[in-house]
Amino acid sequence: MSRARLVERWLPGTLAVAGVLAAWELLGRGGTLNPALLPAPSVVLATLVDVVRDDALAPPIARTLALMATGYLIACACGIALGVAMGRSEAVHALMEPLVELVRPIPKPALIPPLFLFLGIGLQTMLFIVVLAAFFPVLINTVQGVRGVDPVLLDTARTLRLSRRATVLRVVLPAALPMVATGMRVSLGLALTLVVVAEMLAGENGVGFLILDMQRAFQIQKMYAWLVVLALLGLLLNGAFEWAERRALPWRAHLS
Amino acid sequence: MTASHISSSLRVLPRLARAASGIALVIALLALWEASARLGWVDSLNWPPFTAVLAALRDGLWSGELPALLGNTLGYMLVGYAAGSAAGIALGLLLGLSPLLMRIVSPLVETLRPIPISAIVPPLILFLGVGDALKIFIVAFSSFFPVLINTVAGVRDGSPVLRQTARTLRLSRAATLRKLVLPGALPAIFAGLRTSLGIALVVAIIAEMVAGASGIGYFIVQAQYAMQPAPMYAAVLCLSLAGYALNRAILRFEKTALPWHGRA
Repeated sequence: MSRARLVERWLPGTLAVAGVLAAWELLGRGGTLNPALLPAPSVVLATLVDVVRDDALAPPIARTLALMATGYLIACACGIALGVAMGRSEAVHALMEPLVELVRPIPKPALIPPLFLFLGIGLQTMLFIVVLAAFFPVLINTVQGVRGVDPVLLDTARTLRLSRRATVLRVVLPAALPMVATGMRVSLGLALTLVVVAEMLAGENGVGFLILDMQRAFQIQKMYAWLVVLALLGLLLNGAFEWAERRALPWRAHLS
Repeated sequence: MTASHISSSLRVLPRLARAASGIALVIALLALWEASARLGWVDSLNWPPFTAVLAALRDGLWSGELPALLGNTLGYMLVGYAAGSAAGIALGLLLGLSPLLMRIVSPLVETLRPIPISAIVPPLILFLGVGDALKIFIVAFSSFFPVLINTVAGVRDGSPVLRQTARTLRLSRAATLRKLVLPGALPAIFAGLRTSLGIALVVAIIAEMVAGASGIGYFIVQAQYAMQPAPMYAAVLCLSLAGYALNRAILRFEKTALPWHGRA
């Protein structure tokens, strides 16, 4: 892209974001906004800098990310494995479908209290809830992707006497990958949302816990600082996912 | 019975057995749940037998407590969903049709969108309190984005040939929008509406749990604090049914609204 086109592409949006921030800052300084409810961006930024200086930034982020990543990876692995099995075999599909359709519509946050009672209020419950929330989008999309694989490809694999394993690994999975990736992207957002909820309801640490705790302690500036951290985290995760998707699915990149 | 009849009914049998296998698995798991509680394999006060949950569900439905809670939750959820979706469709049409507006607004949208919705409950409590206004707003906020993104994509994917034809036929802008752009974008819009509906229920529950005050999500948390597992599970069951019914309802609505798109 030429410089002129880059400017044309990015300038209006950048100006809009800058405009909103400037208006917020001016209204905050002018006293129109109640600083107890919504401090000016510069104040939030200064608070964030303090947090970084106190070396308080990394531990909650590490905790939240570790919990989320563990749950997300387990969910993706299980979702893809079961999804391939259900997509390839009618028998497995018939066996599992009623159970899946029974559990899937439950709003996952509603399961947090029962799991607290049952598994206790702790890390394993939080992990379980993340896995459960992230599992279903991956599963459903994998089943659809595997079932949608071009039959000609499967026939070709049979003609070439590919083993079942090789067929799944070399033909079915690559063909289903765009659908799987779509499910994984939905799950990524869900996983982060659910980690934050779990930390709010159960945590003694983590970014989600801090946001609710600061609100209850009326440390509003700190609450916003952590909210900014979480927003950046979401932005980064999303960006990393898109980058990975482009690398893994180069033929799909031009579609989106 | 002729031989072909017999062989065709024999061929149906494995399919029936397969269809039954799934239901059998569910029944087996429920029976395991029942037995584990009754026979004390799981020795916990928090593990009521399945029949006790069913009894609690019946009592809750009979007394009107669960329908009232669910009605409360679904009521404001639908208000928020309708508001968020309408805003999403309206802005989506605008952004899809105007590249300049899209360039202005999209960085703002992309900054707000990745924020985990659960994280904005605490600041919103400061502004809106813990009542219905909070819940309606947060449901609307989270329903807004999927509908917006899908509407923009739907409008942009619309065929340029159709639009040129509309210009050739000198259709007014309003008529082009109503007769061409909107119908063309409807399948994508519905995909967004379906995504948002699932999110709306989840977010409503999250708001009730974190902010408290009322609704079935709050009831579940209260039942957990009070160590009353049976009513708690009954409420979860109720919510699960509601989630299922909502999904069926929007699929049905989609079929009537998009008859030409039914076979997907």
